[in-house]
Amino acid sequence: MKQYTGVTRRRVAQLALTGSAGLLLPWVRRGSAAEPIKIGAPLALTGPLGSVGQQLKRGCELWIKTQNSKGGLLGREIKLLLEDTGGNPADAVRKAQEMVERDGCNIFTGITLSSEALAVVPKLDEWNAIFISSDNGDGRLTAESFVPNFFRANISAPMGARAVSLFLRSAEFKNFYAIGMDYAWGRNSVAVFESEMKAAKKNFVGSVFSPIGTKDFSTYITKIRQSGADACFVTMAGDDYNAFLSQAGQYRLPEKVQLLSEVIDLTVPRAVGDAAVGLISSMRYCFRFDNPKNKEFVALWSKEYGTVPDNNEGEQWQALQILAAGVEKAKSTETKGLRDALETVEIDDIKGHVAIRKCDHQAVQSGQVVKLAKAEGFDYPVPQIIATFPGDKTAPACKKMTYED
Amino acid sequence: MPLYAFLVVQSVNALSQAALLFFLGVGLTLIFGIMRIVNFAHGAFYMLGAFIGYSAVRLTGSFWLALALAPLAVGVVGALFEFGILRRLYRRDESAFLMVTFGLALVMTELIRLGWGPEALQVAPPPVFSGIVMLMDEPFPTYRLFLAGAGIVVALAIWQFLERTRLGLLIRATSQNAEMVHALGTDVNLVRSTVFGIGCGLAGVGGVFAAPLVTASIGMSATMIIDAFVIVIIGGMGSFPGSLLGAVLVAFVQVFGEYYLPDLALALMYLIMLAVLVFRPGGLLGKEA
Amino acid sequence: MRDLRGVCGAAVLLALAPLALPTYGMTLLTEALILGLLAMSLDLMVGYTRLVSFGHAAAYGFGAYASGWLLLHTSLPMLAAIPIAALLAGFIAIGVAWICTQASGVAFSMLTLAFAQLLYAVAYKLTSVTGGSDGLAGIPRRPGPLGLHVFVTRNGFYYLVVIVLVAAFVFCRALVRSPFGAVLRGIRENEAKTVALGYNTRLYKIAIVAMSYGLGALAGALYAPFAGFANTELLFWLLSGQVLIMVIVGGSGTLIGPILGAAFFLTVQHQLSNYTEAWALFFGLIFMAFVMFAPEGIWGLLRARFRRNSVLPEYRSDVAGAR
Repeated sequence: MKQYTGVTRRRVAQLALTGSAGLLLPWVRRGSAAEPIKIGAPLALTGPLGSVGQQLKRGCELWIKTQNSKGGLLGREIKLLLEDTGGNPADAVRKAQEMVERDGCNIFTGITLSSEALAVVPKLDEWNAIFISSDNGDGRLTAESFVPNFFRANISAPMGARAVSLFLRSAEFKNFYAIGMDYAWGRNSVAVFESEMKAAKKNFVGSVFSPIGTKDFSTYITKIRQSGADACFVTMAGDDYNAFLSQAGQYRLPEKVQLLSEVIDLTVPRAVGDAAVGLISSMRYCFRFDNPKNKEFVALWSKEYGTVPDNNEGEQWQALQILAAGVEKAKSTETKGLRDALETVEIDDIKGHVAIRKCDHQAVQSGQVVKLAKAEGFDYPVPQIIATFPGDKTAPACKKMTYED
Repeated sequence: MPLYAFLVVQSVNALSQAALLFFLGVGLTLIFGIMRIVNFAHGAFYMLGAFIGYSAVRLTGSFWLALALAPLAVGVVGALFEFGILRRLYRRDESAFLMVTFGLALVMTELIRLGWGPEALQVAPPPVFSGIVMLMDEPFPTYRLFLAGAGIVVALAIWQFLERTRLGLLIRATSQNAEMVHALGTDVNLVRSTVFGIGCGLAGVGGVFAAPLVTASIGMSATMIIDAFVIVIIGGMGSFPGSLLGAVLVAFVQVFGEYYLPDLALALMYLIMLAVLVFRPGGLLGKEA
Repeated sequence: MRDLRGVCGAAVLLALAPLALPTYGMTLLTEALILGLLAMSLDLMVGYTRLVSFGHAAAYGFGAYASGWLLLHTSLPMLAAIPIAALLAGFIAIGVAWICTQASGVAFSMLTLAFAQLLYAVAYKLTSVTGGSDGLAGIPRRPGPLGLHVFVTRNGFYYLVVIVLVAAFVFCRALVRSPFGAVLRGIRENEAKTVALGYNTRLYKIAIVAMSYGLGALAGALYAPFAGFANTELLFWLLSGQVLIMVIVGGSGTLIGPILGAAFFLTVQHQLSNYTEAWALFFGLIFMAFVMFAPEGIWGLLRARFRRNSVLPEYRSDVAGAR
């Protein structure tokens, strides 16, 4: 019997040690390099925001596949370095660093969470790497946390909230309440919204914040109902957002109070179904954009993935288009040259005309407000565009997160 | 809304929430009471119930069938796990169970993600309970009333099961003196597998019930497992009435606490747990630790 | 003595690592050693006293936030901020330990969890101090005192971590071999008997919990200037569970085992997630396999293999024999 025990343990030990040794092999790898252009994407593929990371992944993969089929960039093949951070900032920094040092990567995109971005951004200078964001909305990334190697191709959270509030200026709602998730993004967004409502001479009657991970929103729904508001701004994401919308629908809240939000993607109406009908939100990218480039993109996407492209998928595509334009303008991928080129790059693409502005590297682009409704060909409510605002109206002043008017 | 109306509505809300928490906690406390196993994977079984429920609804079109099938499936998975893995660890330290169920939680979560994808999935309530009633002049979802009722029914059923049936008697006896039960000729191992299966099945029931409220999503396990532990600790680990008391207490404190003291909402639950542990380490209705 | 030779040998190997590993490997190794310190500190509680804590992330996170805050808002050098953070944590931990040791067994574990989650909730809300959900960023490695610059560079910081870890190891080793340690083992094996022998076990438990949390906070205090940031993930119960895994997989009750466990954990997680999204699955399976088939952990396996010792501890308990 002791012998049996010994064999089991020895096998386990051997397995563990050889397995671990095998895992270390990549570090013994070579260092020769840079013919292909490497784009690093440390994404949150698992974890609570895993579905967002997966969207960014699909966006990167299709773009690179398409671009490579056209000969790559500057005649060089593009290679995607994709790794999972689990949504953990420590892992994001570690993996990004590894991509820089092991693979000689100097271009990053697709960091999923704002907390991950905020952890990575201070290191960009040390790594001599450029990061072009496709998803990070935190206003501070182009304000007090700004670094020269950071570029934001996507619509930021303040810009999203701004589009909604511009829409509301001419809408009939008078009294507004707000509910947000109790952390930085939730609080910031609600604060921006509140100041916007005051500037528009509307009534802001109150706000409440729910802890992350709240599952039962009955109390919050009661509060919203009791506030007397006719519209409520909802700054939520992920599971909390789905739970809130499902329950609000069950309490028939949308019949009394118009729900508004700053950002939405198709996973939400897919998850909550009819409870999302009538929701008004700013949307960063919508498959309904009516221009030739977008139609082409939507067709390409449907062919590859069998669905229409979602919010983050389109944003990732745009980010890479901007990157490509910068690379072609600079005729190189070397950091300083690329940075200088990106600072003034402009494209006409799936979202129309988009231009990076030099002062804070934000891509200035039009903002749009959508309303979810049932439509032919979809078994969940989908967005209809109800308002569009030009970029100069939705972008805040340089390095700021608030608006003057 | 006048005060009494508000209190009534909030109380009903709290009761429906208590039902969900009870489903989650009662399985955990049974498993601990009978087997002294702290089942870290309990939240994962709950989540599995929600996802299997989703698939069952898609396949059969009936929420009721899903409610019957999903907990059964989850219970079987639980019993198999006990049979295959936990049984080998009985002679070991209690922390071995902690570790292995923690590992199981990781494995199950990932398997669910691989099986159903990372997106949240919608589970509609049964059509007969998809509407509203006017409670104190405000719309109130009938599904929540159903949930509160179901909680009461299940609690009564478990109580009767433990008190009146032979298996219930065996379970109670095993929790007090497993060796004696074994000496009297009962297969204690079978009792253990059954209890673990029932405990997990109850978590699965909770998952199916919760799905129409919160959608079936991967994050469910992580958020609920802490809640489950808090209820069971407050009520007393191993005490069935304790899990009921704990669920009701936590639900009411949360619902009213969120209203009057929203800033403390997150900390409230832990503060109660701390208080209970300091003054009555065995829980409110448990045996002294 | 044989042990000191082992320690010196390991220290020399670690000192030579920068010559062998590429820079990102060094970064991983530094983080592994920091986690190793955290795991070793937990071993004092789990392995030597059988006090299973689910809240050790609280020590780590508190240490990180404390040293991070000091480095951001005062002009203290790194070499002062780190020990101050650790001492502060140890001090506060005395109070926490006093409350937690009111209970024992599972209730004790739950109390540690409760405290950790409470700290997490507070850190989340106290945005003015902790940066809320974003945490503290841009934490500098301030040189000094007296212009001492050597620990600020990447390899320099690595050496700082090695020195701290080796010193902590020597301290813990002496502690568990002392009469104090004997009492701890007595509490682990049979607390009632130890009490009957006249020892105030409560005091010993409070002492070891405070020391364990203090050392864990030291690890966290090192982490903040290492990574340059501190956030609420460091306080989350998932990390507490992971540290426990490191201790068990490495081999509890051995001090070295947990350090190996931390290195193993970090490396496997890092490399697995490079290859597959389903890394958590394999991870969970590996962990379960260890619990079931190799409860004495990696260190136990290595020792058994190299000493060809057939007298192995029976499956009597999870704790590798007190050697």
